[in-house]
Amino acid sequence: MIHSHHKHKASILELKQSQKRNLQSWLLSAPSLIWLTIFFSIPYLIVIIYSLLLPDIYEVKFQFTLSAYREILSGTYFKPFFLAFRLALMTTLLCLLLGYPVAYLIARSSEKWKNFLLVLIIIPFWTNFIIRIFSWRIFLSSGGVMNEALIALNLVSNPVEIIRTDWAVIIVMVYVYLPYMILPLYSAIEKLDFTLLNAAMDLGANERKAFFKVTLPLSREGIFAGSILVFIPALGAYIIPQLMGNQNALYIGQVITYKIKNIPRNWPVASALSLVMLVIIAVILLTAYSLYQKRQIRKTDEIR
Amino acid sequence: MKSGKLYKRMNLTIFTLVMVFLYIPIIILIIFSFNDSKIVAGWQGFTVKYYLQLFENQQIKQAFQNTMLIAILSTLFSTILGVLAALGLENKRFTGRKVMNALIYVPLIMPDILMGVSLALMFNFLRVGTGMATVLIAHITFCVSYTTIVVQSRLQGFDYSLVEAAMDLGAKPWLIFWKVKFPLMIPGIIAGALLAFTLSIDDFIITFFTSGRGFDTLPIYVEGAIRRGTITTINALSTLMIGFTLFLVAITKRVRNLLLR
Repeated sequence: MIHSHHKHKASILELKQSQKRNLQSWLLSAPSLIWLTIFFSIPYLIVIIYSLLLPDIYEVKFQFTLSAYREILSGTYFKPFFLAFRLALMTTLLCLLLGYPVAYLIARSSEKWKNFLLVLIIIPFWTNFIIRIFSWRIFLSSGGVMNEALIALNLVSNPVEIIRTDWAVIIVMVYVYLPYMILPLYSAIEKLDFTLLNAAMDLGANERKAFFKVTLPLSREGIFAGSILVFIPALGAYIIPQLMGNQNALYIGQVITYKIKNIPRNWPVASALSLVMLVIIAVILLTAYSLYQKRQIRKTDEIR
Repeated sequence: MKSGKLYKRMNLTIFTLVMVFLYIPIIILIIFSFNDSKIVAGWQGFTVKYYLQLFENQQIKQAFQNTMLIAILSTLFSTILGVLAALGLENKRFTGRKVMNALIYVPLIMPDILMGVSLALMFNFLRVGTGMATVLIAHITFCVSYTTIVVQSRLQGFDYSLVEAAMDLGAKPWLIFWKVKFPLMIPGIIAGALLAFTLSIDDFIITFFTSGRGFDTLPIYVEGAIRRGTITTINALSTLMIGFTLFLVAITKRVRNLLLR
């Protein structure tokens, strides 16, 4: 009797302790929680409100209407969305194709080399974003270094016009987003148990088979994380298409920016387009998350 | 050991190509900042005159000051917020964990343009004039996630034996925090702060939407100069900025090594 009483008392003490710790966590998190709620979440509510208003040349008229959505449903903005989607897809695929071998090589080198190679990958990432785009403009422009080299080597007779094409946009997108792909891939491959690969090859699998049956499936999580980190930000690309691309075929990021910044403005349409993008992103993220959850459950089942 | 030779060679080739891809534009930019020519094509001789012009340019000076001010303040605030949040999230049974994680991780992948548009519209809705304050708010907002995550990841690899030892010796919780735990957290805090600082200096899109006219940061100035076509001083400016970030990275490495010793 006394014994159970003591136990009871101890568990109450424990409960109080954990309640106290919980309260402490709330207090510690509160500043960020409040800050992000006000400056990250609530602004999207304002976007929803503005998407339901009447446009004005400069701002908005506070009058309820669905005209922005009607304009979107008419299909005018299908192409900019399609272009952005294609760009994000191409960027992700190219980053994966280029990033995987790089991540693999780094993950399999000796400890001393590993850090050095990682720093080599990250240094361009530390240099200013706008400046990186600008340096590509210098490199690719028709009188630029690349064309001079091509002409000097007699590979072409006239300068190749890469700048102001979709290719210029893709090249710079891959350039900017490559580290976002390489780093998650690296950490996934680094965790990989390479004895499995050796075992597969000892059992007679050739290099290709061992790669596709062992290495690739086991680094799936890195591929997944890297692809999301590249694809989603790439959907909203604005300044890279703006500085590198063909201004006759706009990407959705450019359309939204123009409608916010250039007179005559159309903030309701810009808001509605932003919300469409947000919904697309939410769908992608939720699908990815549920796939991930399913995989985790399957994994634990396998262990059982 | 039978590790594939063919694959190794292929990996090495792609690795070399990627390195060339990553560095060629930057190297060309640096070389051409010393080129004595108004246009970028062709080598016309060595000069440092564009660097000298840079120091006489009042607009660049102002933009530089603005950039530094915003970077320092947003680093300070976002690091404080991040450290507190990371400490709060250390508790695995924290009932607000899910909400906090969502608020921290979602901004990381949200395209910059959406954050820029939504903040710009909110400032308009509240009739807040855009300028330094709005840029600062925006920068703190996108930096908090990074500082929280960096500090949090350092806390996960934390050696609690020292904290437990201090507790066994009967030290007060606050004393334990400031004397034992906080010093151990410093490398993580520095890493988070450095990341926030560079992200702030780097940002174009969100600043573009929240700055309004009259408050230029360096990226905003550079983009304007590219559009206007005044390219030569931008080469010099870019080279200095690249040098500056490398210097910053080297310094923090030093500081961290000193602290970790």
